Amino acid sequence: MTRYFAKKLFILLVLLFLVSIAVFSVLFILPGDPAQIILGINATPQTLANLRAELGLDRPFLEQYLDWIQKLLTGRGNRSINYDMPVYDLIVSRLAVTGPLALLAMVFAVIISLPLGIYAAKNQNRPADVLVMFFTQLGLATPEFWLGILLILLMSVKLGLFSAGGFPGWTSDVWGSLKALLLPAFALGVIRASILTRLTRSSMLEVLREDYVRTARAKGLRERTVIYVHALRNALIPVLTIMGLQLGQLLAGAIIIENVYYLPGLGRLVFQAIGQRDLPVVRDIVLFMAAAVVLVNFIVDLAYASLDPRIRLE
Amino acid sequence: MRKWLWTLMVLALVFPAGAAFGETPQKGGSIVVCQPAEPPGLDPTANTAAAIDRVVYANLFEGLVKVNSNGDLVPGLATQWTVSPDGKTYTFKIREGVKFHNGEPFNAQVAKWNLERAIAETTVNPHPEYFRGIAKMETPDDYTLVLTLKEVDALFLIHMAEGDAVMLPMKGYEDAKSNPIGTGPFKFTSWVRGDRVDMERFDGYWNPKLPYLDKLTIKFIGDASAQIAALKAGDIDVIGYILAPEMAKEMEKDPRFKVYAGSTTAEVIMSTNNKAKPFDNKMVRQAMAYAIDRKAVVDLVMFGYGTPIGSHWSPSTPYYVDLTGKFPYDPKKAKELLAQAGYPDGFEATIKLPAIYSYSKRAGEVIADMLSQVGIKLKIEIVEWGQWIERIFKKKEYELTMIGHSEAWDIGIYANPEYYFQYDSQEFRDAYANALKAPNEEEKAKWFGRCQEIIAEDAVNGFLFSASGLPTMKANVMGWWENYPTIALDCTEVWLKK
Repeated sequence: MTRYFAKKLFILLVLLFLVSIAVFSVLFILPGDPAQIILGINATPQTLANLRAELGLDRPFLEQYLDWIQKLLTGRGNRSINYDMPVYDLIVSRLAVTGPLALLAMVFAVIISLPLGIYAAKNQNRPADVLVMFFTQLGLATPEFWLGILLILLMSVKLGLFSAGGFPGWTSDVWGSLKALLLPAFALGVIRASILTRLTRSSMLEVLREDYVRTARAKGLRERTVIYVHALRNALIPVLTIMGLQLGQLLAGAIIIENVYYLPGLGRLVFQAIGQRDLPVVRDIVLFMAAAVVLVNFIVDLAYASLDPRIRLE
Repeated sequence: MRKWLWTLMVLALVFPAGAAFGETPQKGGSIVVCQPAEPPGLDPTANTAAAIDRVVYANLFEGLVKVNSNGDLVPGLATQWTVSPDGKTYTFKIREGVKFHNGEPFNAQVAKWNLERAIAETTVNPHPEYFRGIAKMETPDDYTLVLTLKEVDALFLIHMAEGDAVMLPMKGYEDAKSNPIGTGPFKFTSWVRGDRVDMERFDGYWNPKLPYLDKLTIKFIGDASAQIAALKAGDIDVIGYILAPEMAKEMEKDPRFKVYAGSTTAEVIMSTNNKAKPFDNKMVRQAMAYAIDRKAVVDLVMFGYGTPIGSHWSPSTPYYVDLTGKFPYDPKKAKELLAQAGYPDGFEATIKLPAIYSYSKRAGEVIADMLSQVGIKLKIEIVEWGQWIERIFKKKEYELTMIGHSEAWDIGIYANPEYYFQYDSQEFRDAYANALKAPNEEEKAKWFGRCQEIIAEDAVNGFLFSASGLPTMKANVMGWWENYPTIALDCTEVWLKK
């Protein structure tokens, strides 16, 4: 287990190193001078030169790269050009929105998809199954921003139960903050639940045809035990893989839904930073996102092992 | 009945909105205003982004001179000013008893220090050239500032009223980007990055009657439908800038809200590379001017909420000359001119549209259709903003593009042949120099008018329309500016009717 862990960690570090070089190079050659974007199209050459010097944009590639990595490793040295604060603090504050949003969306996705998927599998080809399949098809075809807008129109504008967006902040209003995340998390969750329901169903159907399930039934176990103890564990492995990918994706930012609900999340931050050429922010966040995806996959790998002991041996 | 109506109309004209029918402003309350873009920092003397001025100008920061809702230059931190007969010396009387939000006093020395900072070698002020014309700054006493210019500059006072010229305190100016300290009616409390800027009433404001509001929050909501949902759900009170024009009709009908279709300082133009073939031919540019139906552009792009223009000058700016009749919509004439220019069958060209501005993309499509009627086939290319700055603005790698120039009084860009239009006209440069040196109003009007005429005649760019700011608010929000003659969401005199 330790070797498995060490190997994964090594791969993670190499990957992050490669990502850091790629991110830095791409942003370095990207057209669009940050100084010009900050100062506008009528700025004088002297002002531009002054600002470039202030931002350190006039130094050679390697020097800038090493400076970035050094500051990254030693703490809060990288500062956002536009927000005038450490990128580290910025990411932490945005994660306080995006993290819970992603988790809540996954919670919604799981509590909708697992029961529905199992139920559909048990009732294969019966009207209930067809109905579930119909709705998941609908869910797959629905763009999440559109569902988000519909939810706002219904719950905020018509019924007045939720505010139409925004985020009060955990420190000032915990319940209000949670409430602000409910609608967007639901919109994100429902769409993801559609995929997971179908996956649970098909995976469940496959497992239910296995010999050991027949054996379990033959030895007189209750149907409930057969399904939840014996079948589900094995059926969950492909589902878990997709869930891991989904969570990684959500952590990397649900840019569109964050715009619809104007939530100050990570996705909106990076979107805005790219437009404004706030390079320190873009670099750090892309690196962070890469790390998040790799980490989630790492955790998923560990979860496989606990679901299926055979995986540990390989 | 009719008499009544007339009386009402006259009253409505005489009294500005909000003050009509003699309503007295009520104190107290707080409002939430939204604007689409989050500002990149809060220091207007270090960045030109309009989003900064829309948060801080007149709310947090003030200059010696202010622009009021009619576009007039009025006293700000200077109570009055006089100009010497030769037009070169400005004597400002500085307002007494003004304090910064941190308690520091404001006086003539502070004003002088601010201007020196703007023109220093190390300046990051985007427009040091506004103040470079100052040859001498003197402070004979604490409340008098005498500025002597090298040459007469007709735009000097106007520049003194812009965001680049607001006054910062000598201690605490360094953090203005994230912790702005000014002299305005509201003081900064917090900036929740990605969400809002909070401000509260400054009790030490030099005008004890103002502001009326206790709290002011500027919230950043980029998505047009999210803005409207927030207004309808009661999360915000005002969409300060800018309601999606396609929604304006619906919001106007709703008695809970009001929409102002006032003017702004922005001119939306189809910028043309005057050095690229075939646009280096004046006849081709004029043919395009004939081929564009500006009224239809306003209707299709802005749903009617805009004013057609014939030159690079907003109707809300003084000395405006209406040149929309110079090239009336006439496709036949356009074809004739094209034939004369050697393109009887038209030609193909590319228009590059910046992706961040929806009006620009929409206008690009409409114009492409109009030009195709006279044989000019436009290929549309959507460009990311950073790319636009680099390729189009700096490297001039373009034939046509579409953009709103939001700064007022910016016709001087046509005097610079290096500017991305690459327009080179000695006649214009002379006229502009005369306008800047004009000693009196009459001469100013004459020469600024001449400047507008020259570029209109040369059809330098496709002059399309001046957009409406479309501020939209709850019916009980009073004293909001109908027009935006400067880039600001000034809430100094805004109040809530209870």
